[in-house]
Amino acid sequence: MKRTPEIFEKIEAYLAHTLSQEDTIAFEQEIAANIELQEEVEKHRIMHTTLADQDTLAFKEKLIRISDQIKQEEKTNPTLTNRFSLFKIAASIVVLLGAGSLLWYTIYTKNQTRDLDLYSAYYKPYPAEDIIRGKASKETEEVVKQYINGSYDSVVHTLEKHPGLKKQQALQIYLGNSYLNTNQEEKAVKEFKTITNTGKYYEIAQWYLSLTYLKLNKSGKAKLLLEEIIQYNGAYKDKAHRLLIAMKK
Amino acid sequence: MSLEHKPMNSTTEEHKILEGIVTGDEIIITAFYKKNLPYIRKYILRNSGNEEDVEDVFQDAMVFIYQKLKTGSLELQSSIRTYFYGVCKNIWRNRARKNKNLVITGYLPEDIEIIGPAVLKDLECKEKEYIYHKHFLNLSDPCREVLCLVFKGVNMKEIAKITGYSEGYTRKKKFECKQHLIEMIEKDPAYPELQGNPEKK
Repeated sequence: MKRTPEIFEKIEAYLAHTLSQEDTIAFEQEIAANIELQEEVEKHRIMHTTLADQDTLAFKEKLIRISDQIKQEEKTNPTLTNRFSLFKIAASIVVLLGAGSLLWYTIYTKNQTRDLDLYSAYYKPYPAEDIIRGKASKETEEVVKQYINGSYDSVVHTLEKHPGLKKQQALQIYLGNSYLNTNQEEKAVKEFKTITNTGKYYEIAQWYLSLTYLKLNKSGKAKLLLEEIIQYNGAYKDKAHRLLIAMKK
Repeated sequence: MSLEHKPMNSTTEEHKILEGIVTGDEIIITAFYKKNLPYIRKYILRNSGNEEDVEDVFQDAMVFIYQKLKTGSLELQSSIRTYFYGVCKNIWRNRARKNKNLVITGYLPEDIEIIGPAVLKDLECKEKEYIYHKHFLNLSDPCREVLCLVFKGVNMKEIAKITGYSEGYTRKKKFECKQHLIEMIEKDPAYPELQGNPEKK
């Protein structure tokens, strides 16, 4: 269908109900007989209803502006994200080479971002397979599935909705990790702190708590915890030792 | 605009975020954007999306929440962040399924719980609107000015007066801008799928 100013004006008048009764009936008959015209009228109808909402358009425009500002900031200020990736790669190479040295960090670390860089290099979500033991309830299985899929927001939602499940300390570790992955560090701190030193997950919780402090730039608290982990002499001793050295550099 | 329909479980921080969104508070929206973009980016990039998809999904989800807040129809069963993630994930699942022909299974059970089945349907219906928004904002300023007034229901004479164009030129401009907008929308790769008209692909 060829678009012309006349057709547009007729459609507009039809949608605005300004056509005479006779013209409306005639136009409706025309629409019923012509699929292309039907589609055209529908396009105009959506256009008029959707784009009449100026507030929403202004909001969307604001979002575009904010996004551009953020991108600009990232350009002028080397992004943490990129730095994180670099450090992940660097850390992997160091591990692979068996050098055991974290000198790499000194090249990149600067006061403000150092803790976050270290966090990125050391943080890995607690592995799911390690905590599936025994017969699990349907809800527990669901949480495990969500956690394995990286749907951390869903894990948070499910466990906050079913606080009873948190009696299982393994799931508390999941929840703390999920908070960390959804930028809810303060909640992660609270969660890890509730795991007492009588349980087998105590050392794990302490390790993730120290990383949470690191992410929050509370390196003093993180160091104290790392020293405790070293004293505890468990599975996280070596990691804690290496991280502590890196933090003191 | 007010938050009369403030969700029952919202905390002070949550309330501030919701209020910031509905009032268009740039500082609060920027903070929310910065804080949550990495998670959405990770999810979309891991599920066959690209950076442009990340931005579109994030912004459309924000618009969705903004409109819900404005109409007082936002019903939160979880934190705003969890709800927002649910909205983003489902917008992306719909798009990936339609535009990229990816085989993605139906709704995630937890999403039905977090954002509700009605919202999931609503998200699908809004897809067309998002395409109209996107292309309208890509029009030139003079086109946007004229069309904004047209959509507000202002008559040609008045528009001519406001813009300083002659009435004849205003009519011509309106036609050209509308035609251009429709053409851009039709060229959008997602549009034929939303029309349910695969031969247009």
